[in-house]
Amino acid sequence: MDSKQERELHKNAKELINQISVVLRTSQIHDANNVALASSINRLVAMINAMVSQENILVLELRGEFFYINEYRIRYSLEYLLNFDFMVREFKKRELGNVTFKGQIRADDIKAFIKAFNDASFSQEPFNTIHDEMTNVRNIDVGILKKVVEDDALDVRKMVKKTYFNAVSFTQGVINKIKSGEKVNIKKAKRVVESMVDQILEEEQMLLGMTAIKDYDEYTYHHSVNVSILAIALGQRLGMSRRMLTELGMVSLFHDIGKMDIPNDILNKPSNFNDDEWNIIRKHPVWGLRAILKLKRFDDLTIKSAIVAFEHHMNFDLSGYPKIRRGIKLDLLSRIVSLADQYDAMTSARVYSRIPLSPDKALSIMMERAGTQLDPLLFKFFTNMVGVYPIGTLVMLDSRELGLVCESNQLFPNRPRVMIIVNDAGTRTKGTVIDLTEKNDKDLYIRSIRKTLDPNKYNINLAEYLL
Amino acid sequence: MEINEDLKAAKEIVQSILRAKKIIRMYPANNPIYVKTIEDCFARFSDYFNYREDLVLKIRQNEISWESEQVYASVEKEENLALFFFKDGLREVTFKRGLSSGEMEDFLKIIAMDFERDIVDDDIVTLLWERDFQNIQYIADDAMLADEDTYQDRTLEEIEERSNDPDNIMKAYQDAFSEQDISSEASIAPLSDADLQQLMQMLDHEGSGKTEKLVDLLFELPYLSETRADFEELTVFFTSASEFVMQSGDLVIMNSILSRLSGLIGEPHIDDEIKKYFRRVISYAGGSTIIKLLGEILDSGQEIEDKVVEEYVRYLDKSAIPPLMNVLGELESIHARKIVIDALIFLGPKDITSLAKGLNDARWFVVRNIIYIFRKIADKRAVEFLLKTVRHTDIRVRKEVIRALGELGGGGVFQTLRECLEDQEPQIRSAALRALGTVASEAAKRIILDKISDKAFKDVDFDEKKEYFEVLSKWKDKDVFAFLVELLKKKPFLFGSAKMEEIRACSAYSLGLLGNKDAMPILTKFKGDASKLVREFSYTAIKRLEHGQ
Repeated sequence: MDSKQERELHKNAKELINQISVVLRTSQIHDANNVALASSINRLVAMINAMVSQENILVLELRGEFFYINEYRIRYSLEYLLNFDFMVREFKKRELGNVTFKGQIRADDIKAFIKAFNDASFSQEPFNTIHDEMTNVRNIDVGILKKVVEDDALDVRKMVKKTYFNAVSFTQGVINKIKSGEKVNIKKAKRVVESMVDQILEEEQMLLGMTAIKDYDEYTYHHSVNVSILAIALGQRLGMSRRMLTELGMVSLFHDIGKMDIPNDILNKPSNFNDDEWNIIRKHPVWGLRAILKLKRFDDLTIKSAIVAFEHHMNFDLSGYPKIRRGIKLDLLSRIVSLADQYDAMTSARVYSRIPLSPDKALSIMMERAGTQLDPLLFKFFTNMVGVYPIGTLVMLDSRELGLVCESNQLFPNRPRVMIIVNDAGTRTKGTVIDLTEKNDKDLYIRSIRKTLDPNKYNINLAEYLL
Repeated sequence: MEINEDLKAAKEIVQSILRAKKIIRMYPANNPIYVKTIEDCFARFSDYFNYREDLVLKIRQNEISWESEQVYASVEKEENLALFFFKDGLREVTFKRGLSSGEMEDFLKIIAMDFERDIVDDDIVTLLWERDFQNIQYIADDAMLADEDTYQDRTLEEIEERSNDPDNIMKAYQDAFSEQDISSEASIAPLSDADLQQLMQMLDHEGSGKTEKLVDLLFELPYLSETRADFEELTVFFTSASEFVMQSGDLVIMNSILSRLSGLIGEPHIDDEIKKYFRRVISYAGGSTIIKLLGEILDSGQEIEDKVVEEYVRYLDKSAIPPLMNVLGELESIHARKIVIDALIFLGPKDITSLAKGLNDARWFVVRNIIYIFRKIADKRAVEFLLKTVRHTDIRVRKEVIRALGELGGGGVFQTLRECLEDQEPQIRSAALRALGTVASEAAKRIILDKISDKAFKDVDFDEKKEYFEVLSKWKDKDVFAFLVELLKKKPFLFGSAKMEEIRACSAYSLGLLGNKDAMPILTKFKGDASKLVREFSYTAIKRLEHGQ
């Protein structure tokens, strides 16, 4: 989005969503006659009417985790992050999918909407409550939140898989090409990463799910792609632009490129490394920097990639490797990649570490490292992204069902979506996905996680469920 | 609009895209042909969107179609619009009603790029993706991205072979009842406003300081390098980094690289063999590639402190002289040339012979600049080179070299200056005369006195005569005083008296310039001379002496 007009529209749209959030939040504290609320409403009315007079109609729609205004997707804005999250949560809670403003809006119209919106939070059928109460408000229409159609979901899953495997195959090709001295196609690399960025923006959970499957033979290539996906997803949470996300994805994809210089007999050694072998392993960041600088002419991306390849094991407190003479501050991209790298490595069965950790266990170890090895602020965002129970976590529910976390919930981090693999009768099952935010008539959660188990201990092949 | 008309309109749009693709490459954006092409193309889209919501173009290798109708076809390998889109994986492009002129122009600019050049790291799909058009959508085939067509199927088959053992799952289920409760030890800390503030600061700084960081890391590599090959490679990294920072116009980082390399060269514990690699980088920094980039920086109008350039020049050795001279001829701004001239004034004394080669440059202004540099260096060794330039075809060069010879002086210059006094060009004669004045030696004085004393001198133009006396007045000694008094007193012959009176008048003028008040009586006497010219010049000289000017 480059033109001035488009930038203006995007800015107005962001401010509009923020203002609606402000009005709704204020209305939850103050009554309709409060001066602060009235003033917020007046401002919102002015904003809506200004946009309606320009565009004739104003449709605010929630699709997935994103708001669209008149079909324009409004990207997360860091300054309004909390208010955007609030809006997503509250709309979802009420199954409210869209609000259409037609003609000139009055303050009373907004007040009616606020009342309906707030009344719905106590209703068993929240959307119907809003819909019924808004029937008499001519200038505002509301629509129900659209569920993802099963067939569409299947198509999307197919695309996500394709993106993932294309990326792995490409990474394998890159390494082979570098090893044989061939030229690497950076244009293709960008395309691969752009596809991943698109998927993260549209289908974050599905692509993250792909990273949870650790049963592949070619760890190195999958690891590079997994780190790239996790880093992009985290970058997205940090409010990075698409261009920044692409850069982040690229630098992550090449972060371990120095490992190609590690002799295969060390890399594939099935037992623990001795000191000499560790010394060689510890050289891969330096080799990585060298490999990247040899790959192509210097430009911004080469420089960023080289820095990340060098720094990704140095640790936040510089306690890692390589050791350097001058004190430096780790690059933001390096700190992100370091998090993603540690998480994926810990949860993977590598050649030299056959026993992977369960996702939640890995997360708790990382928590101990936050502030020393890992950037504490980024870790906070990371845990908010993957949830308390990351995708791939094996959970026993209080309903006597055994399941795998298949989708985290950013609004309710301890209430992910779970795929049941053994039902309450003790029978194996496959495919039923339940949402732990579901409540019964008494407004109590139907199911909760009672304990987590280590899927590796039972050789559970996540691919069978998550692919 | 009928379907046939729509088809015609779609064809016309494709043709106007094709035309615009060529025009954008050929003309700058303010050129009337460019502007008209954009307007025409947009008009075609606008006409189409009067009747249709969108224009969907399906792309095949040698064909573009609209609603199954072919709107473009070509089997050429070059200039084939369909193939151009197809080879990067584009399979469909949709233009939607609402398309703005700006969006359309941006789209055309993207497709007009020269993708064959190595420097373009993006393909057309990436550029469309980055631009993120609101009213232009596309479908790209990503199958070409996989290195191995069957990778996905093969991997999935392998995984399937390892499908879950039901017993293991049931074991997990049973254990879940017996094992003690373990809930996740991780917890989610809610994000606060302070976190967001901190993050915003982080992101604000993201993107800056990367080159400095890389340079820092490169300076770690000497300590992490082991083999000769490592150091060879490091040399390449440093030279590439130098090029990059200069391309980015960052002379400060360039200086930092050079300063740190110099520091390493000065380290006693570093092996001399290794220091050779660092010297090579410093030498490269003064080579033609980097100096050319310096020229681009200086000519770009980018604000750069003089002391930064001076610092950079201090790190250079004499090998930088030829490329600096070369770039001197290419620079457009006066300020940039001044900076390079100053650099050559600094470096020139390290290799006068190299600098002298610039005197053979085909561009007169470069030669004049080099002469100026020699003047500022003031090294008498330059005279032998300068003497060869006196016969240069450009008078501006000749004047400058004569001036330089005057400033540098020495016995070798007199013969040449004497010859120049006889030159056909008045400007050259004047320059030579003034050069002799600058030399200010007895020999120089003698040349001028001889010249004035020559019989033919009376025929010299009055202004030139006056200039001779003006220069002569620089020697404020008794000889000159006596010479001038003698000339003033000289009785004119009847024939040619007007020419003699000019000489007498100039003598009076020169006495005034000498500033010696002993000349007052004689000047007062000739204030009443029969010659009007002598009277006037004597009067002016008296006034000058009275006022001590």
